[in-house]
Amino acid sequence: MISCDVLVIGAGPAGLCAAISAAEAGASVVILERSFRPGGQLVKQTHMFFGSERQYASVRGIDIPEKLLSQLESFGSKVKLLCSCTVCGIYEDGVVTALLNGTEYLKLKPRATVVATGAAERALAFSGCDLPGIYGAGAVQTLMNVHGVRPGRRVVMVGAGNIGLIVSYQLLQAGVEVACVLDAAPRIGGYLVHAAKLRRMGVPILTSHSVTRAFGHESLEAVEVAELDAKFAPIAGTERRIDCDVCCISVGLTPLTELLSMAGAALRYIPRLGGFVAKRDERYETTVKSVFTAGDASCIEEASAAMVEGRLAGLFAAETAGFCHENYSELKADCENQLALLRGGDTGKHIVAGLQDLAKED
Amino acid sequence: MDLRIAQHPILDFGEPTAIRFNFDGRELVGREGDSIAAALHANGVMVLAHSSELDRPRGFYCAIGNCSSCMMEVDGVPNVKTCVTLLKEGMRVRSQLRGRGAL
Repeated sequence: MISCDVLVIGAGPAGLCAAISAAEAGASVVILERSFRPGGQLVKQTHMFFGSERQYASVRGIDIPEKLLSQLESFGSKVKLLCSCTVCGIYEDGVVTALLNGTEYLKLKPRATVVATGAAERALAFSGCDLPGIYGAGAVQTLMNVHGVRPGRRVVMVGAGNIGLIVSYQLLQAGVEVACVLDAAPRIGGYLVHAAKLRRMGVPILTSHSVTRAFGHESLEAVEVAELDAKFAPIAGTERRIDCDVCCISVGLTPLTELLSMAGAALRYIPRLGGFVAKRDERYETTVKSVFTAGDASCIEEASAAMVEGRLAGLFAAETAGFCHENYSELKADCENQLALLRGGDTGKHIVAGLQDLAKED
Repeated sequence: MDLRIAQHPILDFGEPTAIRFNFDGRELVGREGDSIAAALHANGVMVLAHSSELDRPRGFYCAIGNCSSCMMEVDGVPNVKTCVTLLKEGMRVRSQLRGRGAL
């Protein structure tokens, strides 16, 4: 049995920041990450961040994990990071089990746990949607920007939100042709600055369009796209076939709440936050005592907000574990102020409304 | 078609060490730091397995270890999530046996 003050599940932007504030408060911290490298989805984000300097604006996402990890290194053996380690369960007595390197079974007994498991890309159901070549847009981003591998020759992107637009541009940067970007909605969901870059490169963005079929034997050869009516139903006669060997699906993310659900945390369906999320109080504590949650696992947002939420969750978890940060009040106020600024704009409105829904609903 | 990115305006992939591995009896070469799925993709291998009921081809989908679409047999161990497993020298990777492999 491994004892620690604070256990953080997930080494993405929220998890790493939670670990930093918990360690600053004096807590011993263990971080478990299922991938073989830490950083979560930051490791593939070659674009520069917006927001303020406090959330690394103008820094590329790929350069952020190193900064966070070097802060963690300064705490020496107080902080342990285990990669290739999949958490299997959170039990009633607070024990957490995990599988390390696929072979070694670990049991941990933390005083407080922060679940920062992030989110998964949604799939889209259409005929042939399971063919190899049809990938999550984020998955393709990982393939290109982490591994330096192009997904194929010609891509149809489904979804004109920020991820769809950014990944389309990054496909062009990697020398891959983007046939078109589709979005079922009548208008582009992502920032127009990203859409404009694509349009300048000659990539058509077709709103009120979606993919209706995929063709191919062992892998993707073409897709059928169609125009949609106001009720999102395909309009007969508008179908056309587009040759492509890759189709990226970028239709949103879903919080990864399996572990929270298993722990017995009350979940609520809040579409504005991305689906089922755990109820949590103003200290980010779920309905299960000493289990906290932050980042995309609790609300689909940008990495900049996930980092600030993580800072707060670490502060609160350490407090529960008996370690009050010496600058607790200042740090808390500062982080809450940063979140208010990040959520202040037009795009942040639905997050604020979603969080209000979560707080009031029961 | 060579799927490795040779030149990129932002990223420099350098010249990573070659990692040799075996896929269904074929000797392939990946790079240090590759996930198994990425190394296979770079070698033009998109089909990683077949589904157990309908025998449909399976590729990766999420690349974060969540969707289970990329599971393969690695060094004799079935159901390995190849998108979050680091490629190692001499690894023996096999297409999952159409759902009928020993569990």
